[in-house]
Amino acid sequence: MSERREASGGEMSSALVTRTSARGLRVDVRLFGIAVIIAAAVGYLMYTGLQGTAASYFVTVSELQAKATSVDGRRVRVGGDVVAGSIVRGGPGEPIHFRISDGVSELEVVYAGVLPDIFAEGRHVIVEGLYRTGQPIQADSVLTQCPSRFESVPTTATS
Amino acid sequence: MAHLGSGALILALILAIYGIVATLFGARRRIPELLLSGYRATYAVAFLVAIALIALVVSFLRHDFRLAYVAGRSSRDMPLHYVIAAFYGGQEGSLLYWTLVASGLGALALYLHRRSDRALLPYMNATLLSVLTFLLLVLTVVSSPFRLLPVTPPDGAGLNPLLRDPGMMAHPPFLLSGYASFTVPFAFGMAALITGRLGSDWLRAIRRWTLLAWALLGLGLLIGAWWAYHVLGWGGYWGWDPVENLALLPWLTSTAFLHSVIVQERRGMLKVWNLALLLATFALCIFGTFIVRSGMLSSVHAFAVSAIGHWFLAFLALVLVVGIGLLIYRLPGLQSERQIESVSSREAGFLLNNLLLTAIAFAVFWGTTFPLFSELFWDTRITVGPPFYNRVIGPLLLVLFLLMAIGPLLAWRRTDVRLLLRNVGWPAAAGIIVGLVGLVLLSRPWAAIAYAVTVFAVGVTLQEFWRGTVARRRNARENVLVAAWELLRRNNRRYGGYLVHLAILLMAVGIIASNAFQLERQFVLRPGEQGTIGPYTVIYRGLEDRRTADAEIVAAQVDIYRGQRYAGTVESFRFFYRNYEDQPTARMGITLVGMDDVYVVLDRWEDDGTASLRVYVNPLVIWIWIGGVVFVLGTVTLFWPQPVPALARVPQSVAGATSEA
Repeated sequence: MSERREASGGEMSSALVTRTSARGLRVDVRLFGIAVIIAAAVGYLMYTGLQGTAASYFVTVSELQAKATSVDGRRVRVGGDVVAGSIVRGGPGEPIHFRISDGVSELEVVYAGVLPDIFAEGRHVIVEGLYRTGQPIQADSVLTQCPSRFESVPTTATS
Repeated sequence: MAHLGSGALILALILAIYGIVATLFGARRRIPELLLSGYRATYAVAFLVAIALIALVVSFLRHDFRLAYVAGRSSRDMPLHYVIAAFYGGQEGSLLYWTLVASGLGALALYLHRRSDRALLPYMNATLLSVLTFLLLVLTVVSSPFRLLPVTPPDGAGLNPLLRDPGMMAHPPFLLSGYASFTVPFAFGMAALITGRLGSDWLRAIRRWTLLAWALLGLGLLIGAWWAYHVLGWGGYWGWDPVENLALLPWLTSTAFLHSVIVQERRGMLKVWNLALLLATFALCIFGTFIVRSGMLSSVHAFAVSAIGHWFLAFLALVLVVGIGLLIYRLPGLQSERQIESVSSREAGFLLNNLLLTAIAFAVFWGTTFPLFSELFWDTRITVGPPFYNRVIGPLLLVLFLLMAIGPLLAWRRTDVRLLLRNVGWPAAAGIIVGLVGLVLLSRPWAAIAYAVTVFAVGVTLQEFWRGTVARRRNARENVLVAAWELLRRNNRRYGGYLVHLAILLMAVGIIASNAFQLERQFVLRPGEQGTIGPYTVIYRGLEDRRTADAEIVAAQVDIYRGQRYAGTVESFRFFYRNYEDQPTARMGITLVGMDDVYVVLDRWEDDGTASLRVYVNPLVIWIWIGGVVFVLGTVTLFWPQPVPALARVPQSVAGATSEA
């Protein structure tokens, strides 16, 4: 049954395909032009998106200190473990101070937002914020990860 | 139970391999008995996987902590529904669940299409079984849910607190089954490529299956957003996190596919493109799983990094090589039957829609994988955050909305532009008025423009409904309600699609407002003190300690006033679950005042009752969930059984959308 339908469809189509006209070409060119415009717009948007504050350098603590001059004044995203005993919580509403370490060097972090649920000493965290040489990072986002113990744990804190 | 489960999986693996051999051999040598035996192997695999899953659930119900998987995810004091839900709370169980959905739907497809698509079935079956073989191999060799512990612990560790939420009951099953059910359209697509039967048969066979997978995945994403909003406590519903993005990607490409497939059905064009989209969708499902499990990207979803990442990478490579290879091999048979005749035709509209959707998908893909590429080429990992996505995707979405409005008004082949302009007159006027008023009243011009576009698109869509109803009322002499109902029922594909458009636009209303006009403040209050945010006053009443079977709870009570008028009391919680005392889990207090969500997060507190509260005012977020409900209605309409044979309606629809509407 399906054989027959396909055959008749094929006949019809071949008759139509042969009728390629100059107008068809013009339409193709125009559609191609639109496609190019969309592609260019997307390319432009993506390029400018990467230039602005949307992008940040993802580094370890040691890498950050090695590259301090080149990333000064830029957004960075730094991963490290929370150093035991370094958490100073202050009272409610005051920012939290803590240090993170990658085993080699340490970095001071100040964070004023709501901490993620599984934030604790020793946990691996990723902090994101503006970096100024010699100053603690003013983080506007702290992510926690503890892959060794939890699975499919969505946690986040962004201020 | 453990032996029953792992035994069933091993048997299923053997049967799956046998099934591939039997169907391929049977198809080549034309031995019907062998073919039939191959199909039966698939039914048997589905049955065995179901047995394995039941064995796992029973182990959970019996608290059989000999199983590492059960001990790691449940405990005796957990409520029953979370004990059951815990079976997909980890990698092994979710993979088993995926396998069950893929094999179950595959077997169902095999049964439903046993008469209509005979020629495709052997290769569809072989592809399906190949995917299942891979999954079963992973389940038996690398990550078995039935692994036994050397020592049986007296009690389990319990499910992670963040997963103990009603959202857990719905989000993972929907998302995973969305991923898994793309296996069926993929199998049909591969069968079409292998057999060279690239006519419209396979398309008809897979449209509903793709629709099903797409609807499940979409619902999974929506419920995930709802969950994030109500549990994760950062005031938002979508964070452009890599894991979310990776789940969004196949949804975007399958949305594109569902649109462009109409062009192939009606006009015989875009054949290569459609197959490529189908392949990309399935590959992105695999890719998502691989990235999530490989730990290559840092995500807030801290999935366990495990060895199955490599397996998925290898499988992804196999899928891509075979898929692209077949596509190239069949290129000569995939010529377009017609050409696009005019830029202002429905087919050109669909083409642009596809370009935009794939452009959005590409931008999301690029942003998500940029850390990997930048490290490869520039030696630094650069991550991009939400501002990148908002900047790139916002404008693209607006253009897509414009097209969503105009597209359905375009006729196949060629549209009379004057007629089109006349048709969009009222909605365009409404859009312009909203835009101008917005520019004056709203502090953000981009939001005004976005609202203008959204109102325009909503206007056109509603106008289409209205015109269809009026036409029916006149012709069939029905009253308005009957006419509207019959319109949806009889033209379910068309008007179901419009309902989904409407759903997306309603969500846009909420998304624009909550992005542009969210308020956020942090308060430090003693009991009885108050603070103000926007038009709202919050009065902190104090803390209360409570206790449930598996947790201790600290609850903060907050009264909310709008101006002088009392608007409600919310409670914001921190749960301390047993075994997870170091992970106090937040539950937000959210109340709807007018169209604003007042969203209270309990941050920290001291013994004297002083608490730090973070309060958000999220305007119009309710519209996202209303849009979600409309989305469900739309997909149900799309699935509605058609009273008229599909063929009878085709010529009428080709005649032109504008006249029909």
